[in-house]
Amino acid sequence: MIKVEGVRVAYGRTLALDTVDLDLRPGVTGLFGPNGAGKTTLLRVLAGLLRPTAGRVRMPDMEIDASNETFRRRVGYVGHDSGLYPDLTVGENLHLFGHLHGSRPERTAEVLAAVGIEDRRDTRVAALSAGLKRRAAVARALVHEPDLLLLDEPYANVDDEAAEMLSGAIMSWRRPDRVCVVATHGAKRVKAYADAGIIIQRGQVISYRIRVPNEAPPLDTLAETSPLEKQADEPGPVGTQT
Amino acid sequence: MNVTGVSAPTIARPRAPGFASKTVALMAKDLRIELRARDTLPPMLAFSLAVTLLLAFTLPSSTSPADPVDLPVGTVPLNDVLAGFLWITILFAGLVGFARTFEVERREGAIDSLLLVPVDRSALFIAKATSNLTFVVLVEVFLVPAFLLLFQVDVAADWWLLVAVLLLGNLGFVSVGTLFASLAARTTSRELMLPILALPVLVPLFIAGVELTSDVFATGGAESVTDKGWFVILLAFDAIIGIVAALVFEFALDG
Repeated sequence: MIKVEGVRVAYGRTLALDTVDLDLRPGVTGLFGPNGAGKTTLLRVLAGLLRPTAGRVRMPDMEIDASNETFRRRVGYVGHDSGLYPDLTVGENLHLFGHLHGSRPERTAEVLAAVGIEDRRDTRVAALSAGLKRRAAVARALVHEPDLLLLDEPYANVDDEAAEMLSGAIMSWRRPDRVCVVATHGAKRVKAYADAGIIIQRGQVISYRIRVPNEAPPLDTLAETSPLEKQADEPGPVGTQT
Repeated sequence: MNVTGVSAPTIARPRAPGFASKTVALMAKDLRIELRARDTLPPMLAFSLAVTLLLAFTLPSSTSPADPVDLPVGTVPLNDVLAGFLWITILFAGLVGFARTFEVERREGAIDSLLLVPVDRSALFIAKATSNLTFVVLVEVFLVPAFLLLFQVDVAADWWLLVAVLLLGNLGFVSVGTLFASLAARTTSRELMLPILALPVLVPLFIAGVELTSDVFATGGAESVTDKGWFVILLAFDAIIGIVAALVFEFALDG
């Protein structure tokens, strides 16, 4: 569904992504790797917010680029920050982004309930804890029911109960034609429901596995052969796409 | 696992809001944030009133704006000097505010969210420029009466001319300021970059503004303002810069 072809991203002399080729299929794909591996850079490229130095990223019917208004209708993105206005309330933020996307007004209440912060609707974002901000950010990304959902560390600072709710919200959003990429440096939470897993290290994809129906999540086996949980720096085996 | 997630949509999506509706929503967001945070208007007001007060003590005493004043560059009518003072104060007060144009988007990374909403970039420009125009006009609401009072300028007969000149000047000023604020926002030294980028472009606008305001201060009437080429220059600047800025804004934002 999303083809990443020979994508390279360089920040000056630093190569953040080194010739990444991927064929992202519908479902939830976990993007794993240690800090500085290139997860955020890859997500920003997938969101069209960062133009690669070389290579290209395509959806079946269009090039991925934030300057393309049609693409913008279909993408939901949560970066390292919440992407919300701190001086507006959670409800005002969601209403604003929902309105700009042309969502139903009721969507605000739906997504707030989905991530379990409906009682924070009238709280200013600046007054939220880090974990609550993450949940509000995911709600903001879901408010327009995007086809492509990109989440960068959605579980950061989130407690177990809230993490369950976030996972539930992502699973409920899932449809046969939708793609979600969840980047995290710890795989435990995403392993439970991911349909595929990518391990990225030093800007290179070292493993990409897709879950076979009726089998255990692909990352259970992936973690055994990779430095995923340990966040080791040594390069892993060259990955294969199964 | 608890799977109390987002239910599938059961109701058809409403008609997508149009350009004007989205522009108004974006502008209302900026004004609401300023109303709560008060990050932009107070420093602009404080700067403009402080500068006006300081300037009021620097001029030699004079009885009429038409009186000549001896300056190092020669002898000029006082109304020319006063018009220059007024526009320089507006210029730098405006730059203080424009530098903060995208600050609300930077604090929690909302710029990424904004770049990914399906809104024409020109709507973002119009919303930001209108917010900036509101701030500049609000500053002038306090600044101009204080200025006229402190410098004892009487424009009672031609007050509407002064308002017209200020509004026309403001239009071009906020267009340039908003456009270059979007460029400067991408740099780490944006407070420094904004004046470096904007001032050369603003020179013709401010010369026209000073010339026309000087005529108003000299109580020359409507003919003295409209008969001169500066009025046409001001109108042309607003039209050309306004259109160019709205078109170029997309590239400034997307990089």
